[in-house]
Amino acid sequence: MTLTLALLQQAVSDTAGAYGHFPGIGGRGAVWIAAEVHLMFAAFVLGVPMFAVITELIGIVSKDDKYDKLSHEFTRLLVFAYSATALWGAMLLFALTTLYPKFWAHMAKIFSVSMWIYVSLFFVESFTLYLYYYGWDRWRAGRAKWFHWGLGVLLNGWGTTVMLIANGWLTYMMSPPKGVTAEGLPPGVTMWNAIANATWIPINIHRLIANAVFGGSIVAAYAAYRFLAAKTDEERAHYDWMGYVGNFIAISTFIVLPFAGYWLGREIYQYNQQMGITMMGGFMSWLWIVQAVLIGVLFLCANYYLWTGMGRIPGAERFTPYTKWMLLLLIVCWIAWSTPHTMIATREEMVAMGGAHHPFLNVLGVMSAKNTAVNLMILTTFLSFLIYRRANKEAVVPWAKTGTLIQAAMFVIAAGVVLFYGVYGYFVEAIVRIGFSVYQVAAVLVCILGVTIIDVFIGKGAKSRGEIRWGQMPDRSQYALFVLAVTFTWLMGLMGFARSGIRQHWHVWEVMRDTSPDAFTPALGYAANMISLCVVIFLSLVAFIFWLGGLAEKASHGHAEETPGVAIPKGVSVPGRGTAPVTGD
Amino acid sequence: MWKTNLKILAIALVVIGFYTTVAHIIPQLQSEVPEALALGASVTPEALVAAGEKIYNGAGGCTACHGLGTRAPNLITDYKGQGAIGARCGTRKPGMDCKAYIYESLTQPQAYVVAGFDPIMPDMRKQLSEDQIWAAVAFLESNGGTVDVTGDDIKKTAPAPAAGGAPAPAGPAMTATLDPVKLYSEKGCIGCHQMDGKGGNIGPSWDHVGSRRTAASIRKKILNPSSDTTKGYEKFAGMMPGTFGTMLSAAQLEALVTFLANKK
Repeated sequence: MTLTLALLQQAVSDTAGAYGHFPGIGGRGAVWIAAEVHLMFAAFVLGVPMFAVITELIGIVSKDDKYDKLSHEFTRLLVFAYSATALWGAMLLFALTTLYPKFWAHMAKIFSVSMWIYVSLFFVESFTLYLYYYGWDRWRAGRAKWFHWGLGVLLNGWGTTVMLIANGWLTYMMSPPKGVTAEGLPPGVTMWNAIANATWIPINIHRLIANAVFGGSIVAAYAAYRFLAAKTDEERAHYDWMGYVGNFIAISTFIVLPFAGYWLGREIYQYNQQMGITMMGGFMSWLWIVQAVLIGVLFLCANYYLWTGMGRIPGAERFTPYTKWMLLLLIVCWIAWSTPHTMIATREEMVAMGGAHHPFLNVLGVMSAKNTAVNLMILTTFLSFLIYRRANKEAVVPWAKTGTLIQAAMFVIAAGVVLFYGVYGYFVEAIVRIGFSVYQVAAVLVCILGVTIIDVFIGKGAKSRGEIRWGQMPDRSQYALFVLAVTFTWLMGLMGFARSGIRQHWHVWEVMRDTSPDAFTPALGYAANMISLCVVIFLSLVAFIFWLGGLAEKASHGHAEETPGVAIPKGVSVPGRGTAPVTGD
Repeated sequence: MWKTNLKILAIALVVIGFYTTVAHIIPQLQSEVPEALALGASVTPEALVAAGEKIYNGAGGCTACHGLGTRAPNLITDYKGQGAIGARCGTRKPGMDCKAYIYESLTQPQAYVVAGFDPIMPDMRKQLSEDQIWAAVAFLESNGGTVDVTGDDIKKTAPAPAAGGAPAPAGPAMTATLDPVKLYSEKGCIGCHQMDGKGGNIGPSWDHVGSRRTAASIRKKILNPSSDTTKGYEKFAGMMPGTFGTMLSAAQLEALVTFLANKK
């Protein structure tokens, strides 16, 4: 009793002055929204410069102006998005300072130097962006163009460094170094140790890839909007191509994201088994079912967009009969992946089921089935990309048939390995089964790599079956791009909740306890409401930015040109204008 | 264009609404903060069981592993025909009654690991108070057995408050023994380290440890287990608790270090 009272007194003294109040949604809700929307904008402003620099480089090397224009268009969106990122960052900082002062004082005590570096880099990054954007026309040729491209590289460098610093803070909250107390770092442990903690590198890798995915999907949505609003065929052709590029980058980088996720999960387990189990098998286990639903939608929409796009590619009709089987496979895999394994049930329900497993669904719910499903979905999506890529090409190399057979064999072997270990997993112990996912992933990666390399060589000097009719896409395909963007944004919110929620009632895991009334970790329903609110705020602001982008374009081009700033992709066939010259417009 | 804008808005809202609905129709479970219990000496078995059930399904996080049958044995339902935990706990370890066995499982989980499972269970004293642990014991006993936990049990194991009224550090009550072999069992080292044919195999064997490590290295490893990892045991890195510095007195630590350094 004495101990309990002493602990209660301690909790009261810990709480006194530690938390502020925010009307309506509470302190946690306010910080949640500020942090999530800031993060979404930050992902956008980190992801988009990656494309801008890559497409600008392609433009320099290929001397094809349309890439340069595309890169410029990306950058215009960035200028507005940067302000929004900074504003939401400031809101987050003020929210933390006023609503969680004690926690923030702890963080500031440990990370003060890195905070000064962070804000300095943000300044440098912003000014680099202004130079990069406003210097576009001034440094557009010769060696000056390379200097300009160098600014873009610098912009990415600053942005990535800023992200690495912020990642150090948030991963510290999950996996602080041993010996840290609420009072600060122990002797011998430096700020660098706190930044380079157990989950820092995996989060860095995961976020870098995820930013590329996110940036790609938002750019594709922008292009879809401009496609639907286009008044001329040229505009439609340009934005159709831009949407394709954005979506291609989003999906191709998305395919490798699960592997980075596996690594992060493994590091979390390594750091603390209990945290890992809470994440995958505890009260958060149902979150992964919601994630499976979202990712299933992503795969279906990405494939649908590609299959619809094949309607504008001469020669693609020879692949059309296969798409219905691919769709069937995707749906079956989606169902398997979305089937829950562990039933969080009441005592009576568990007794009725004879355990926490459903007698039938249990078979589909285990990791063997899920890993098999997701790997087959990745293979199917890759196959869609492959046939899209080859649709209008006729290989001329003498070994084309053999090469194609080898590619087919690689697909069959990869699918066979995935299925074999999926089935075999049911007959071995859990600890052995976990290792099988490595073989499944390896088989898929080797297949993707091998088939791509062969395809590049098969395509050398290939004859064209006809030019891609850019712009001749049905409107419904563009709505698929919107669904992708909304889903990626929601998924980012969901994963943010997963990462933050596994700390449960700790501000800093097992170092600084949350003693506020909001210390409990909410159920998924409440979390979903918050995520949806953040997504609505973010997308509304992004829509405003897109609109501003359109205004800026009109202002810079005036009304003199019929289709301002629009380039027809190389070799594009546009009704009424023939085919664009291969050197660009 | 307004028609297109409205279509885009409708699609975005339908997609967001769909995901929100999916998240609402699945079971809603929130992670509660472990509550400080004040059960007192006159607590009834019913009150203990009720509190224990709440801990089992909530703050204790027990359902994450127990009941699945893969990470840990089922506790609420039958396990290999032996019944629920309350029915089998009294026969798990010879000479140890049900109450003592379950309490030991919660506080020294590596002392006895059921065959076929990995020793992944954490010491629950890191998360739960003595009141909560005893409530969990009572709840588990109630599943197929008889509840015999009383307020006295809580009183006996509760750490004494330190001078000045400040709460005592968490962890088991220290004994004064300087016998390293006794400390080996008492402090739970036996759960992971083998010695003379006894003990677990999670960490390196203590046999001949003195030929691999110096006294300083052993001391450092005990006080800061993550300072290095013995080759071949990388997959268990991070499992050794970092609490031995507070669990052992200085004299006990030195007795243990000297004993191990001499095991050539």
